[in-house]
Amino acid sequence: MTTDLAILLVSAVLVAGVYATMSYGLALIFGVMKVINLSHAGAVMLGAYIAYVLIVGLRMNPFIATVLVVPPLFFLLGVLLERVFVRPVRKAPPIASLLLLFGVWLMMQNIAYIIWTGEVRTITTPYTMMRFKVGEVPINVNRLAVFLVGAITLLLLHQFMTRTYLGKAIRATAQDSTAAKLAGINTDQIDMVAFGLGTALAGMAGALTSLIYAFDPNFGGSYMLKSFCIVVLGGVESFLGVALGSLILALAEALSVLWIRAGMQDFVSFVVLIVALLVTPGGLPGLLQKRYAVRPR
Amino acid sequence: MFPRARVLAGLLALAMVGASLGASAAPPAPKEIVIGAALPLTGTFAREGGYFKDGYEMAVKEINERGGIFVKEYGKRIPVRLILYDDKSDATTSVSLYEKLVTEDKVHALLGGYSTPLIQAHTVVPEKYKVPYVNGGGASTAIYARGYKWIFGLLASIEKLAITLMNWIASQQDAGKLGKPLRIAIAWENTSHGKDFQKGILDKARASPDRFVIVFDEPFEIGSKDFTPLLQKVKAANADAWLVDARIADAILMQRQLTELGLYFQVISYGPRGTEKAIRDALAPAADYIVSVNWWHRDLPYPQARAFVRKYEETYKKPAEWFPALAYETARVLFKAIEQAGSLNKAKIRDALAKMDMRGSIVVGQRVWFGPNGQIDNDYVIMQNLPGRGPVLVYPKYVALGEAVVPIPRR
Repeated sequence: MTTDLAILLVSAVLVAGVYATMSYGLALIFGVMKVINLSHAGAVMLGAYIAYVLIVGLRMNPFIATVLVVPPLFFLLGVLLERVFVRPVRKAPPIASLLLLFGVWLMMQNIAYIIWTGEVRTITTPYTMMRFKVGEVPINVNRLAVFLVGAITLLLLHQFMTRTYLGKAIRATAQDSTAAKLAGINTDQIDMVAFGLGTALAGMAGALTSLIYAFDPNFGGSYMLKSFCIVVLGGVESFLGVALGSLILALAEALSVLWIRAGMQDFVSFVVLIVALLVTPGGLPGLLQKRYAVRPR
Repeated sequence: MFPRARVLAGLLALAMVGASLGASAAPPAPKEIVIGAALPLTGTFAREGGYFKDGYEMAVKEINERGGIFVKEYGKRIPVRLILYDDKSDATTSVSLYEKLVTEDKVHALLGGYSTPLIQAHTVVPEKYKVPYVNGGGASTAIYARGYKWIFGLLASIEKLAITLMNWIASQQDAGKLGKPLRIAIAWENTSHGKDFQKGILDKARASPDRFVIVFDEPFEIGSKDFTPLLQKVKAANADAWLVDARIADAILMQRQLTELGLYFQVISYGPRGTEKAIRDALAPAADYIVSVNWWHRDLPYPQARAFVRKYEETYKKPAEWFPALAYETARVLFKAIEQAGSLNKAKIRDALAKMDMRGSIVVGQRVWFGPNGQIDNDYVIMQNLPGRGPVLVYPKYVALGEAVVPIPRR
């Protein structure tokens, strides 16, 4: 029984890694630009296909392809999307960018159908079925690698945001765009960098998860709902919150199966989302801030 | 003599006028028989839709090379014109395109689209306008359980798929390869397809409690990111057989995680999935011994099926999967019904479909007929991935090309 529970917990932690990797980009773009990037799912899907081309077609090392090649390509794609689609509607009501980016997602999906058809694809590497055991708990090497890359990305993002000028400028813009502008920050440029970075993270997430899951042009759509749930839970402007939100969601899904049917996992996700919205509208960081805030005497 | 000759001449003239009047009373033969369909040529089901297009076009080309369909009413062969639209894998678009085919294109009959949700949606159109409709792309009971009279289908039900799987397991029990009762765990995608599968398994288990005991029965969400919690519960159920209704992506993840967790079953099946190239490539040795249940397979040992495979693969340079095969046969069944009706009258074509008994078909069992609900009830074939051989037909006996390996050897 202890082993079974340990297997479930380890599995939930590894899935949390996948969820967090999927959600950083969405949180970053919303945090800085207050834009709900519905093309995020398209970037995740295209990331998987570009990884497929690099790894299966060009026989590139999976690590180099997913971590070193895909993110810069998707950074450029993000910059292009921001310049062409998002910037022209920045002054319009939020629904404009929401619908526009939904259209971009559909466009990406149809491009994928034209190039790769609707056939389900997989990437099989020498590590795909490789596993090792810690005690009685089996751990898949691929899943662990995705988890580790997710964790390292979190650390690097944290360092970038707190130690570099650009990172600080992004945070300043996220907190108050007008004040940032008054302080001499080129917020248009920051928006572009944030969108590029968010799209790079989405592309990398797609590339990494293509090593675990089969995919087709609809890939990414099911992650969107989970990512929204995580971002709401974790707070829209906090990477640590996103990581924590991912862990809570993954644990809730995995452990709920002990009492309810596996077919109800999505139901659990949305119960978590509703509870999060009702109890902690500012996400977990907001709740913690409120709890430990210094009260005036 | 004279008056008699005049009477005869008069009668002859009358007969000639009558004959010419009779000839002009028959309607002139139309230039072509118009048949329409909306297929998912883009979107989610683009791949399958493309195969259906191939199958329909191949059948139309064949019949037109012979001059068209012979229609007794006109005493001649009339060529077929096929109108194909792209429904973009969208149910609403599919419905409006079938409306267009009936109301604007004035088709004589309709061929079906692909996938249960689209077919379930658009079949309301032929039923409403009373246009004969045949499909080879929808199997769910939901399509045929509405009491419709104008809808016919060449795919046997998903319940039948599950029953065939259970019959095969029973045959392995009778051969002494599997024990009795067999402890069975089932999991099914949370859709009408999955529910039909579950119903077939449960009905069969209830009917033979001495043979089968269901120890686990749960649905799962399509596109789940982790099946470990589900598989942990299955492990606790201590089952001998693992029978699942899943799509390719879910089947791959489930089998990978099952292998990682070191679970062992004497029989593993993912319903209609498990023997496709995509799954074998993704799972490599972990795909060995998986059993799948299918409507059709290119290795069927019928000369007419072999001829279809040869011609299809030569023409389209693609492997002949079940999609184009069923599409081709669906179109041929409709042509046969028009010929048997001897008319382009829609009700007569519908009646011919209801009475259809086509022999020498390429489908399993070589015979096409429809039950009162409009759905065929022929056999499925069972295949098993055998190491070094790929998928091999193992059931029913009359088409088997190899012996199933049961129980699965422990690795």
